[in-house]
Amino acid sequence: MKSFNKNRSYPLWLTLPGLAVYTLFFIVPIAAAFLYSFTNWNLNDMSQARFVGLRNFKSLLQDDIFLRSVGNTLLFAAVITFFKTLIGLLLALLVVKPFPGNSLFRTVYYLPCVLSTMIVGLLFTAILRQDGLLNNLLYAAGLGSAARDWLGSYKPAMCWIMITEVWMWAGFSMFIFISGLQAISKDYYESAELDGANARQAFRHITLPLLAPSFTVITTLNITGGLKVFDLVYALTGGGPGFDTQVLSTYVYRAFGLGLLGKSSAAAILLSLLIVAVTFALNHFLRSMEVER
Amino acid sequence: MEKSYRKYLRTAVASLISLFFFIPILMMLLGSFKTQGEVLALDLSLPEEFRWENYAHVLKTGSILRGYLNSFIITSVSVAMILLFGALTGIIISRRKDKGSRIIYGYYLFGLTATMQMVTTYALMIKLHLNGTYLGVILVFAAINLPFAVLTFSSFVTGVPIEIDEAARIDGAEALQLVFRILLPIMKPVTVTNLIISAIGVWNNFQVPLYLMSSSKKMTIPMTVFNFYGLYARDWQYVFAALTITILPVVILYLALQQYIVEGMTAGAVKG
Repeated sequence: MKSFNKNRSYPLWLTLPGLAVYTLFFIVPIAAAFLYSFTNWNLNDMSQARFVGLRNFKSLLQDDIFLRSVGNTLLFAAVITFFKTLIGLLLALLVVKPFPGNSLFRTVYYLPCVLSTMIVGLLFTAILRQDGLLNNLLYAAGLGSAARDWLGSYKPAMCWIMITEVWMWAGFSMFIFISGLQAISKDYYESAELDGANARQAFRHITLPLLAPSFTVITTLNITGGLKVFDLVYALTGGGPGFDTQVLSTYVYRAFGLGLLGKSSAAAILLSLLIVAVTFALNHFLRSMEVER
Repeated sequence: MEKSYRKYLRTAVASLISLFFFIPILMMLLGSFKTQGEVLALDLSLPEEFRWENYAHVLKTGSILRGYLNSFIITSVSVAMILLFGALTGIIISRRKDKGSRIIYGYYLFGLTATMQMVTTYALMIKLHLNGTYLGVILVFAAINLPFAVLTFSSFVTGVPIEIDEAARIDGAEALQLVFRILLPIMKPVTVTNLIISAIGVWNNFQVPLYLMSSSKKMTIPMTVFNFYGLYARDWQYVFAALTITILPVVILYLALQQYIVEGMTAGAVKG
């Protein structure tokens, strides 16, 4: 095959359109955000941006609302990852075996994953309002004393944002676990049974370890996705009451709305650094877990 | 005997769980047919009579159809760009195997972990006079979805035997023919995966148009519905009708293409 230059059949210029779009509309804004995060850039006069050193970062770290949004973001990512993994696994174990209607149930559990987060947010607003479905059901069940304005104070609002997220995406984890479970050879279970292992032992020593790759995928996806959460908070509480349920992405949007572009960029940069650090640590941790097994 | 009893136990448990998924949907469907008075107490009761005129009202005043059209334009064009650029780049860099293509691969890999910067994207749009235009939003969607497309296409092509290319070249295929006539058709599975993931992602995205689209004429469907809710927060019957109109086509599409969608989205997750 020396008659033609192999690479001539694959001209590099064909990659240029993609590279141009990707560079200009994704990479350039990232680089610019990094640079502008050290300036007093603002919406009133966007052509003027003066270098102010670390002032934006300092003021962020002294801003209670920012610190609160960091805390909420971390809490959100950790809690939803835990529950999506747990509930996804339970759902998968429930529907992976054949029984009447099992594929129908898979379809139902997965359905919210294809909906727009904004739409789901509005549906849950109707449920959680003071005069919403949940309270009305509670009154109907004689539990009227438990009724409250679920989105009106920090703790229930934060909980319900996370419950909504889990409601929406548990079916997604379920499907990843189902494909993980189906990949486990039946031989393992048969020989375990021959060795006299009971169902619980088989689950502990065969199923769980062999599902490690599924756990890795779900954890990584949900933690990084969870740190970026925006739509759901925006739709359900708008970061309120007050600034109580603010997360990093809504904080960035709020600073943007106030015209503080430099500060907003600084917050966005801190968010991306947080995501990179967490992803890196997580990969490291999960890989060492998989090797040990 | 004991086995079949267990089977039905599973069905029972699974049905109970599906209630959690059905109740919000049921509330929405029933509510969309009620009068304002009936819907004031959000519950699961049947409407006195099914008021289809709620839907007529929403379609007339809510610019939902306009939102649909906008979402359709933005999604179809950006997905076409993602597939074309992603496939081309994936093919070229996985076949060349030289230093340049390895650098390009790494460059896109960076994009997979990087976070989109909306504030500077907004400023860039203003600078390029693309602010509030379809084209601006389309280009941003294409850019943020390209890393995933490039990496999945590239790893798929790596698994396509090089002999196919060589046979085509012996038959006299030129570079572009080789790419468009021979390789693109082979890549159907990875194309479907990318089509589904990017189409659903773009269609449902709220954040990008929120920053970049201020004109109500060009708003996508999630934004249209959110604004509609802002205007009609006291008329839940209309909000529910708007939500139903928005959700229904997506659900029908999901039920029809379920297999592809679920496989596409999970395959995307595992490879991404």
